[in-house]
Parts: sequence; C-alpha cells; structure tokens
Amino acid sequence: MLIYGIRSRKRDDRLLQSPSGAAVSVEDVSRCFGTIQALSHVSLNVAPGEVLAVTGRSGSGKSTLLNLIGGLDHPDGGRIRIDGEPVWERPGTGTARRELVGFVFQQHLLMSELNARANVEVPLIGAGIPAGRRRRRALELLDEVDLGDRAEHLPSMLSGGERQRVAVARALANSPRLLLADEPTGALDSLTASAIVELLLRLRDRRGMTVIIVSYDPEVHYRANRTVTLLDGSIARPTVGVDPGGGG
Amino acid sequence: MLAMIAANMLRRRGRTALTALGVAVGVMTVVALLSVTGGLSRSAGDLAKLGRADFGVFQGGLSDLTASSLPDSIVSRVAAQAGVASAVPIQIVPHAIARDSSILVFGANPNGILGRRLVLVSGRLPRGQQLLVGVGAAKQLHAAVGGTITVSGQSFPVAGIYRSGISLEDNGVVLPLAVTQRISGRTGAISMIAVSVAPGYRDVEVERRIERAIPGTLSLGDPSEVARVDTNSRVITKAAIIIAVLALLLGAVVVVNTMAMSVIERRQQFGLLAVVGWSRARVASLILGEAIAVSLVGAAAGLALGALASELVVGALAAGTFVSPAVTMWVLARGVLVGLALGVTGALFSVWRVMQGPTLRAISG
Repeated sequence: MLIYGIRSRKRDDRLLQSPSGAAVSVEDVSRCFGTIQALSHVSLNVAPGEVLAVTGRSGSGKSTLLNLIGGLDHPDGGRIRIDGEPVWERPGTGTARRELVGFVFQQHLLMSELNARANVEVPLIGAGIPAGRRRRRALELLDEVDLGDRAEHLPSMLSGGERQRVAVARALANSPRLLLADEPTGALDSLTASAIVELLLRLRDRRGMTVIIVSYDPEVHYRANRTVTLLDGSIARPTVGVDPGGGG
Repeated sequence: MLAMIAANMLRRRGRTALTALGVAVGVMTVVALLSVTGGLSRSAGDLAKLGRADFGVFQGGLSDLTASSLPDSIVSRVAAQAGVASAVPIQIVPHAIARDSSILVFGANPNGILGRRLVLVSGRLPRGQQLLVGVGAAKQLHAAVGGTITVSGQSFPVAGIYRSGISLEDNGVVLPLAVTQRISGRTGAISMIAVSVAPGYRDVEVERRIERAIPGTLSLGDPSEVARVDTNSRVITKAAIIIAVLALLLGAVVVVNTMAMSVIERRQQFGLLAVVGWSRARVASLILGEAIAVSLVGAAAGLALGALASELVVGALAAGTFVSPAVTMWVLARGVLVGLALGVTGALFSVWRVMQGPTLRAISG
C-alpha cells in the first residue's frame, strides 16, 4: 500500500532521506488474528529522528503496527526493517529489542514492589549491567525526566504522570534508537498528558531518537513531524504534502 | 536480580508461604523417615555388636533376628573354632517388662565377658538374681540402684546401672542367662552368640568358618548387613520410602500448583521483562532463583520439623529402645537436596510456560 501522511509541521532534512536510510521500514506488512485482518499490506518508512504519530479508530490496527515494529509480534506477510535490517527475523530478538527499542505503554506497567529507581534498573539487569553502574544510570535517567527526588518512591506513592515519567525513563535505560509509545497519554489528564508529550519531544531532541507514538491526543498530532491514520488495517488518510519517508 | 527475587517473594507472602510449606512437608517427611529408618538400621546393626562383640551368630533364615533361637550347646562349638577369642551366649527376651514393653531383657552372665564390658555408672556387678539396667531403661523405668524392676511378673533388685554405648543395650536390662531362660520358658535356648575374634584373624574369615562348621547359623558383623538380612527392617525401610515418595509427590503438586498460579498472575510482569530486553533465559533464571530461595526457606523449616517429628514419632510409638532417630548431616543434606529438587521441579513447569508464552499476549495482560 502507498504511504500517505499529513504535512510535517517541523520539517527536517533527515525526513527527506531515501527509504534505504529509513530508521523504520514497514514493507507490505499484513497481520491476521483468526478471521480478523488487523493490518493489510501496510507500507511505511520513518526517517531517523522523526516523530511519527499514528492515529485511527479503535481496532484500526495502530497497536498491532507498533507491536510489529517493536518485534513484539510477527507479521504474517511483509517485512519490518530497523535501520535497514530485518532484525526481528533473526535469532536474539531480546538483545536487539534491548539495544534498539524502548517501549512506553498507556498503562505504565511498573512493578509495584520496586521503587522508581529499581524499576528503571530492570532493563539494565537484562543487559547484565553491574549493580553500581545500574544504580548511577537509573538515577541519571530519573533526573532526565525530572524525578530525581522521587527515586526511592514506590509507584503507589507517585502520581499518574510521575509513573509515566518513570516508565519513560525505563524505556530509555538502554539508550534505544527507537522509542515506541502506545497511547502514552491515554490515562492522563490533559495537563499531565501535555507534560509527557513535551518530555518525549525534549528527549527526542536531546537524544536524536526516532519516536513513533500511537495516540488520539490532538496535541501529539500537532507536535509530531507527521501523522499516519489507519482505518481497518490500512493507511487511510490521503496524502497532504510530501511523504517524508519517501515510501510508496 | 536478588533484589527482584526478594521483592517478589515478600510481595506475595501468602503464596511464598504456601510454596515453602509444600517444600517443608516434603523435606520434613523425608528427614523424619530417613532419621527413623536410619535409626532402625542402626538398632538392627546393634544386635550384631551386643556385648561389644566383633560379630554375632544367629539362627539362619529368620525375618526377625530378635526371634533367633539357638541351642546353648553350640556355644562350645563356636568357641572351639579357630580365630574365636571368646563366645558369649545371650538370650534376648522381648516384651518381658510390662511397664515398657519396648525394653529388651538380655540374658547373659553379668559377671562374664559381657558384664566386664559394661561400664557401671552406679552400683556394682549383680549377684544371684539381681539385675543390671542400662542408663536409658533406668530413665524410662525411673529405676535406681537398690530398687526393683518387674520382669515377667517377677521383681528383681537393681544392682547397678550401666552404659555400653550401644543404644539397644543401654535401653535394656541384663539378667543372668539361667533366669531369662526360666522366665521365658526356653530352657537350653539362647538367641545369639557374641563372638570376639582373636588377634591375627579377620572377622569375615571367622564368620564364614563358623557358618560352615555349624549349618543353619548366620554370622553377622556389619551393621548394614544386619539391616539387609532383617526382613522387618527391610519392610519398614521400604514402607518409609513409599511414604516419602507419596509425601514428595504431594509436596511437588503443591509447589507446582502454587508456582504455576504465580506465573499466570505475573504473566504481564514476565511480558514486560521480555519487552525491556530480558532474554527468556534470564526470565527463566529469575523464576528459578525465586524457586530456589523459596525452597531453601521451606527446606530449613522442613529440616527442623523433620528432626522434631522423628523424635515425636518414636516417642509416640514407644519405640525408643529399637529406634533412636539418626539425624545425621547426610540425612539433613538429603533433606536440603529434596527441598531444592521440589522447588526447581515446580519451577520447571512455570519456566516452560514462560518460554512458550508469546510476549505480546503477556504484555497485554
């Protein structure tokens, strides 16, 4: 399927790169769950450093697309490439996911028995980082999301926005090149949601990550470089302006 | 990782306690039964060492060595064999003391070799129809020097209290052989002959020589050999093994069930760990680590309860004379191994579930 998108509001030269230089390349991807066609022949390129918003009605395939890009699921047809490589088709997807991708979900999914610092350390344990370095890194990340003074607090002692910030810090623990956020502001009030969006964009600017956000939030769409709308498993919105990923 | 293991265990205290309980039940049963059967084997082995002999000569083909019956006329034939330094006839009379039927009465010459090998802790060697009582039996019967003990309805004065170091003897009473033959109605019969081997001879060699010279006898010196020959010990040991296996199966079911439930409850957590880049092997090691930690807690409780239970069981069955629970380091080590095996076995199913479960389904709760 051809790629469509709305015009980027903050154009960047990197967004005009060829598909071969794409941070994420979705090539004719389909995914079925039983008789339900969640995605149908979707193609999409996301440039390095781009902030892409994905929207669509409930059941349109947004989260399925995000899960496929992040290697949490496998397509029935087509191919996903990260930095030009079909990493999820190779052995050792755990290592690739750790090094390439950070996830933020609508529900923060923090471990309630661990404090904020320990929650941020969890991905670092998976990477085999020694305890001392883990601790320092987790504290740096909490500082980065303005939660340095909440490091020893349990999730139950934090507000919804603070929990989501901890989840963002956890997603950044292994310095991923790609941040995938599935409705990260969906469970937050508008003020807190705005702060989270601001945080994600700030981190993108600081780290140069590629960010894909599944969201209904108009502010996300407004502030993203590009928005893709999915309808019944296909990209629906007619193109407005240039396709930054150069797909199609 | 250790912090996560500790946090997970403390967070689900009820489930942790239930899992540990399953392990503890298995460990307790194994430790108690191993202790009791070990003690039983040791007691059976004590028979061969009565009178601090090198070996004992018994009637062959019996399932219970305490039922052995030999004519006392063969004592001289045994004594005449090359390599035999001394041959002491002993009669064992069970159930002769009504106050505590587990106490054995030994018929032997208290002033002979047997008596000389007993260490008197109070009193003196007996004369006439006096008896000696072991320290264990004296305690059980509240007997003291100068008092009396009733054997087969007849009172005998206590001349002394001895300690031999052999549990079976220390929990017994020694009367002159002629007296026990009379009160048991088995005149001319003995139960065994305690044989000491002369210097320069090997025990086994002398044992085989006696068996060849006097057909129908059985010479036993090695305690483990006694336990093997004694059918009762074997039956009890086998029964104990069956009970232990059943207890282990029960414990395993509890552990597998609670750990499987735990994994189902924590599916989202494991999914999240996969999402943040934990390999399946590392997730599996977290589950195994928790299982080992819970198992160690359960095993520690099981060891203590097992040691206590073995004493209680023996006490409740009034079997202290025959069985002194042998809670050895090897028994405890086996208890710990059983506990770890239970926990790890229980965790294997959970590990398998986690390894099979797709990440996406887990993370979506």
